Amino acid sequence: MDQEQGFLGVLTSSPFRIAIVYSIAFALGTVALLSGVYFAVSRVIDGSTDNLIEAEVQGLREQYLVLSRSDFIDLVEQRSHTQDVRGAVYLMVDPRMRPVAGNLPAWPTIPPGEGKWIQFKAIVPYGDQTRVHEVRAQRFPLPGGYRMLVGHDVQERQDVKNLMMRGLVAAVVSTMLIGIGGGIWMGRRILAHAGAISAVATQIMRGDLSRRLPVRDAEDELNTLAREINGMLDKIEQLTLGMRTVLDSAAHDLRTPLNRLQSTAEAALAGLGKDSPERRVLERVTAEVDRMRSTLDALLRIALAETGTVAREAVDLSALVASIVELYAPVTEERGIELRSEVAAGVHIQGSRQLLAQALANLLDNAIKFTPAGGHVRVFLRNDATGSEITVEDDGPGIPADKRELVLGRRVRLDEARKVPGSGLGLSLVAAVTKLHGARLVLADADPGLRVSLKFAV
Amino acid sequence: MHILIVEDDQVARDYLAKALREVGHTVDVAADGLEGLHLASSIALDLVIVDRMLPKLDGLALVQSLRATGRKFPVLILSALGDVDDRITGLRAGGDDYLTKPYHVSELLARIDALARRAELGSGEAATKLKLADLELDRMTRRVTRGGKKIELTAREFQLLEFLMRHSGQVVTRTMLLEGVWDYHFDPQTNVIDVHISRLRQAIDKDFDKPLLHTVRGAGYSLSEED
Repeated sequence: MDQEQGFLGVLTSSPFRIAIVYSIAFALGTVALLSGVYFAVSRVIDGSTDNLIEAEVQGLREQYLVLSRSDFIDLVEQRSHTQDVRGAVYLMVDPRMRPVAGNLPAWPTIPPGEGKWIQFKAIVPYGDQTRVHEVRAQRFPLPGGYRMLVGHDVQERQDVKNLMMRGLVAAVVSTMLIGIGGGIWMGRRILAHAGAISAVATQIMRGDLSRRLPVRDAEDELNTLAREINGMLDKIEQLTLGMRTVLDSAAHDLRTPLNRLQSTAEAALAGLGKDSPERRVLERVTAEVDRMRSTLDALLRIALAETGTVAREAVDLSALVASIVELYAPVTEERGIELRSEVAAGVHIQGSRQLLAQALANLLDNAIKFTPAGGHVRVFLRNDATGSEITVEDDGPGIPADKRELVLGRRVRLDEARKVPGSGLGLSLVAAVTKLHGARLVLADADPGLRVSLKFAV
Repeated sequence: MHILIVEDDQVARDYLAKALREVGHTVDVAADGLEGLHLASSIALDLVIVDRMLPKLDGLALVQSLRATGRKFPVLILSALGDVDDRITGLRAGGDDYLTKPYHVSELLARIDALARRAELGSGEAATKLKLADLELDRMTRRVTRGGKKIELTAREFQLLEFLMRHSGQVVTRTMLLEGVWDYHFDPQTNVIDVHISRLRQAIDKDFDKPLLHTVRGAGYSLSEED
């Protein structure tokens, strides 16, 4: 597995997805919690400053009624410069908006349509210095065209809010990061284990039944599963070996008497004259032995392919298809059939070269058998991202759609096919070999004729 | 040739021994693996025919023991199992050829001749130039001439001719050709080999008086000067 694929693999792994879902949930929870706190705290702080300003506005309005203007100015000046109420902001301007008292350098620009409360940035006293701070204030007119502004430095409040907002963002980001990191870590771990398991499983499916899934020390679901699957594999191996043994002894028990029959017939033939009637009988016997032999060979190969215990090797499918086409080319030409082929280069699979060759040869035997002179047989090997596909097409009579499933069974010969010689095992062998290679056998209409495809997944 | 048959099936063994003697070979027989190993180790042999499943000592084990003690004579394995994998294990154990039961004696005889020819030529690379009567084949230049006249062949026809020339004077069966030239081990339902042979025959015999490529009835083909 290369790096990039490994990383993509982690991203699509189930632990990673679960981790992402959980971190999003946690992040949303964090947002909800901290927003609640934020709004509650904001309301408390805002409320207390606002009350303070309201009270001060109320107080100054009352003072204005009882004091002369100059005393009022003194009062404002005094309040502006005492340090007991930290952050209090005052400004009194004359009708031409020139400051007459207070601790703000100038009347703020207030956009039209503002309500009772305004908020703006201004240069405010801060201990012995001045700073540009956020100020929240109320303004009210005084008699004689004077105006008064009473407010409070809310920078600290803003700072607290900003801090909380930053905390909120940081909490969400770190929840997500921890979630993603944890997801990647868990994904990697599980993937490594699952990867080891699937690598072994692939080898097992390729016929190496002696392999077992890796089991780690840790006591988790994957290990339990691996252990149970290993138990199952023991059983399958036993069964398959049993089947193989039965097959071998069946082969032995059938081939030995056939061989004896063949030997006896041949020995008897050796002493007979060219035209003796016994000769004809014995020649029929050996011919029947040959037929039985080829049927037996086919049956045993099908059974063998179905046990899945055939050794696999790297097979150059392109070379194989090309050489079978080449093997059959003269015979098709002789029968007046046009054989065309398109073979993609460089297609390799793991499998049994001999069985694949025989399967393809069977398909060509069939195609040639059912295609009349002047007909066409086409062989394709295609290869794309989804896998490779061998296709054999003819323009013979084809197989009716409702009988296609049927012909894959053992020894089924449609009425149409009874006119031509054959054991009826050809397609069964193709089906068994296809299954052995994890491929899919598809019979379709070549319109006219039959199209048989062997689809190998990547 | 001096041939040892190790086969537990008496009917098959007796007939095989008789058939081999009839074509002029000296034959010894053994009915089980141990006897076979004993005989093969004590007498000078040119070839051994071993059944795969033998009492006392398995056929494959017998071949392995013979190879381990440095016996180099060709070994033909007969098998009543005989499928794709069995063939490979048989050859891997040290067998030189593998034949599945039931077999025709003609097939077995042809294979024995081929094995003997191979042993004769030794393990070294075969000669660059093969020659039969006025037919010449140069493996280096891939040139074929007959009576000095160049003959155009396809790559496969060339291989086919090369195989036949290496076994000239011997019978070569269809399965031997399919195995030797194409490396496939199955019986095609169609007469594919015959058609390849008839094309080759067209190429090398058509314009000449004396045919070299003969059909041997009931057995296969033979490339030889004699009719």
